[in-house]
Amino acid sequence: MAQPLPFVLNVPEIPEDHDREPSPYDESEVHDSFHQLIQEQSQCVAEEGLELRQRGLGAAAPGTSGGGRQALVGPEDAAAHSTATLRILASMPSRTIGRSRGAIISQYYNRTVRLRRRVSRPQLGGVGRSARPSLRLYDLELDPAALEEEEKRSLLVKELQSLTVAQRGHMLKGMPLGLAEKRSLREESRTLTGKHRERRGRRGLFPCCGWLRDTCVLALHGLGLWLLAGLHGLKPWRYALKRIGGQFGSSVLSYFLFLKTLLAFNALLLLPVLALVVGVQAAFPPPASPGPVPAFTGLELLTGGGRLTHTVMYYGYYSNSTLNPPCVPAPDGGQCGRETDGLPYNMPLAYLFTVGGAFFITCITLVYSMSHSFGESYRVGSTSGVHAITVFCSWDHKVTQRRASRLQHDNIRTHLKELLAEGQLRQGPRSVCGRLRQVAVLGLVWLLCLAITLGCTVAVYAFSELMIQVRAGSGRPPGLWAGGQTPASLGMGPRNLILKMVILGILCYHWLGRRVGALRDQCWENFVGQELYRLMVLDFIFILLDTLFGELVWRLISERKLKRKEKPEFDIAGNVLELIYGQTLTWLGVLFAPLLPAVQIIKLVFLFYIKKTSLMANCQAPRRPWLASHMSTVFISLLCFPSFLGAAVFLCYAVWQVKPSGTCGPFRTLDTMYEAGKVWVRRLEKAGPRVSWLPWVHRYLVENTFPVYLVSALLLAVIYLNIQVVKGQRKVICLLREQISNEGEDKIFLINKLHSVYEKKERSR
Amino acid sequence: MHWEDLEEYQALTFLTRNEILCIHDTFLKLCPPGKHYKEATLTTDQVSSLPALRVNPFRDRICKVFSHDDVFSFEDVLGMASVFSEQACPSLKIEYAFRIYDFNENGFIDDEDLRKVVLRLLNSDDVSEDLLTDVTNHVLSESDLDNDNMLSFSEFEHAMAKSPDFMNSFRIHFWGF
Repeated sequence: MAQPLPFVLNVPEIPEDHDREPSPYDESEVHDSFHQLIQEQSQCVAEEGLELRQRGLGAAAPGTSGGGRQALVGPEDAAAHSTATLRILASMPSRTIGRSRGAIISQYYNRTVRLRRRVSRPQLGGVGRSARPSLRLYDLELDPAALEEEEKRSLLVKELQSLTVAQRGHMLKGMPLGLAEKRSLREESRTLTGKHRERRGRRGLFPCCGWLRDTCVLALHGLGLWLLAGLHGLKPWRYALKRIGGQFGSSVLSYFLFLKTLLAFNALLLLPVLALVVGVQAAFPPPASPGPVPAFTGLELLTGGGRLTHTVMYYGYYSNSTLNPPCVPAPDGGQCGRETDGLPYNMPLAYLFTVGGAFFITCITLVYSMSHSFGESYRVGSTSGVHAITVFCSWDHKVTQRRASRLQHDNIRTHLKELLAEGQLRQGPRSVCGRLRQVAVLGLVWLLCLAITLGCTVAVYAFSELMIQVRAGSGRPPGLWAGGQTPASLGMGPRNLILKMVILGILCYHWLGRRVGALRDQCWENFVGQELYRLMVLDFIFILLDTLFGELVWRLISERKLKRKEKPEFDIAGNVLELIYGQTLTWLGVLFAPLLPAVQIIKLVFLFYIKKTSLMANCQAPRRPWLASHMSTVFISLLCFPSFLGAAVFLCYAVWQVKPSGTCGPFRTLDTMYEAGKVWVRRLEKAGPRVSWLPWVHRYLVENTFPVYLVSALLLAVIYLNIQVVKGQRKVICLLREQISNEGEDKIFLINKLHSVYEKKERSR
Repeated sequence: MHWEDLEEYQALTFLTRNEILCIHDTFLKLCPPGKHYKEATLTTDQVSSLPALRVNPFRDRICKVFSHDDVFSFEDVLGMASVFSEQACPSLKIEYAFRIYDFNENGFIDDEDLRKVVLRLLNSDDVSEDLLTDVTNHVLSESDLDNDNMLSFSEFEHAMAKSPDFMNSFRIHFWGF
């Protein structure tokens, strides 16, 4: 625990020091003044005699921090012999960092040198390394600072010139100087390179070529900037998101950002499927099915059946053969040959590989964004320092509404009080009974929820068994799995999610296990696709109802009947879990209804506008302060782990183990969907080893299990090494902290010594 | 605004073209008519009453840090918007955050500064002495590494580097209102 030593107090100004040599704090570019520093220094110098004694007390109790503040010692004595010490202290590196133009310039000179030597630019965590300019540049402290600054400035300009344009631009943007200063630096670092270009240009044919080239380059540069601005502006909903952030803060904004992320994932899934599967099949429609095709009524959008069954929407529409472009008979009346024009397009293979490839890309993107988000929000040792973070980072400067800012003040007060209370609790004695009671209550609540979940699961399973027995394969079941939907405003949060996931799991088992058997002669894949479509539509209807009743009606009731001015809170957790549930349905259904991501995209777009309107009109920001960055990590992790993983397991099982139906779809003649790939590989093998290396890859890397073990072992080794590295880094951090605290004590000791030396000099004079 | 000026501002700040133009419009609306935007200045009060800063408890410090002699030129406003923009790099934000939180401008965030920061955050007059002292002591014990009872720039930087929320919360949109 740090032993704070008193160091500062207010002291009346010492006028003499202002007539001394120019110091870093006299400059016009600096935004601060230093007269307070001098006051502080004169007081601390006066106290140094006392401090030496205090240090000797060693590990004093923290209470001395209050009692350590000494009374003012006569300022006249302090002033007389401390000006030299003061000047040295005022130009110490730690006091001038970022305060004076000279210090900033030398700091950035160091950075550009490091950049030029190809050391990687320090990230946020590593910025501290460059914060102190090297002492080498500060050994001339007592010289007039102006001359040194000119030197440093010319050095900086030279360094800037040797950077690339992009690096220079980034460095200039990031300098904490005024715009005029930056402009002159930019001009100086550009003129010389401009002169070089001019000299080279004179060797050209005509002098006006140089001017033309410059104009062209500038025009292109302008066009590039304009394009960038256009791309930036194309980001959907930027203005709406800024308004939401300004009115409600970052926590509510995180919900809408998550919605945008889901939109991106669905677009990523839809594009390859659309291009390689749906588009091709739509261009080459299969032969019309026997029997009458039902007419299109509007009800199909709700039930997913009827006319939609005979479109590209569902698995059953896709043909199981190789698609050829329609042959055009030759102009001289000949027959169209077998493989005349164009490449034959193997539909089953395309279907399997596109869906598999899209899932693989989604998996990689999801894992990458999850790890990136985790890396951003977790820092080694970040669990300590909660108070500092609350004080400095909890005020959301984006907020522009008075009501929201009042809410923020309240939130911060509550948070600070909670933090302090927690700290006290931890220090206080822990009663065993109290803790046991807490644990017992928590356990009871969880048991209750699990029991409800189990009950619902059993009910769903029994119901589905009943449906199989009652109507053995005729018509459509009234598949209203409304039991899976509970309004989010019940506020059950993660338990709600568990309930829904378990029910989805039961349904999946039911479909792949029992329905396949029951619908042997029919298209069970179409059935599963329709069920999932209906679930999605129902999910959308329930979200609408929830928004209507949970937010609008609640606000009306509370305003009119209860006469309270409080609007209902926006339930972030519930809404996010709804989104994750909807996305799980999409991922489950992509194999059986390739256009399901398109439906999900339309649903998400509608949801954005509905939720935004309802939020603006009816809701207020939540009371409990949320750490926005941690929340987005949690959302993405929940999306990855129960949701995507479950869908991937379902997909793998459906592809590898389940027999596709014999009457419809691209895999109708095969035993499993995966066989399409195997058949193709065998055909390639028969064609001979010179045709392709794929069969070799398939035989030795995919069907062989040894590579899988090898890769798993390597991954485990890498993970273990990373864990050890993190442990080592933690130890280094502890050692560095100790070192810094020792350096602080050294500093105090040296200052005292310095003061006593000057004091002796003054006395001997 | 000339195209070259716009390009220059884009090269020297983190703002996008649209943001610069919006700030330019707002600036022209507020400054006295007839003056060229490069010579006009705004007072601290005018900038404090912008919608983006109106409810910010630190608006006087922000205006003090970014203005020259208590007036804002157009380039000062751009500099301020650039530091608070979304694209600004963390080191720049930390640099200016330190200056803003340093109320007594002695180059350190000491006990007095911390108390003022907490009072501004809570925005009420009846804050108990105990709460202030407790919070201040906790912050110093967590972040003050060399035991001098103050946060130097490096210590502040180190504390903010541990918090990913800093970048998120230290943003103001000066345009689009």
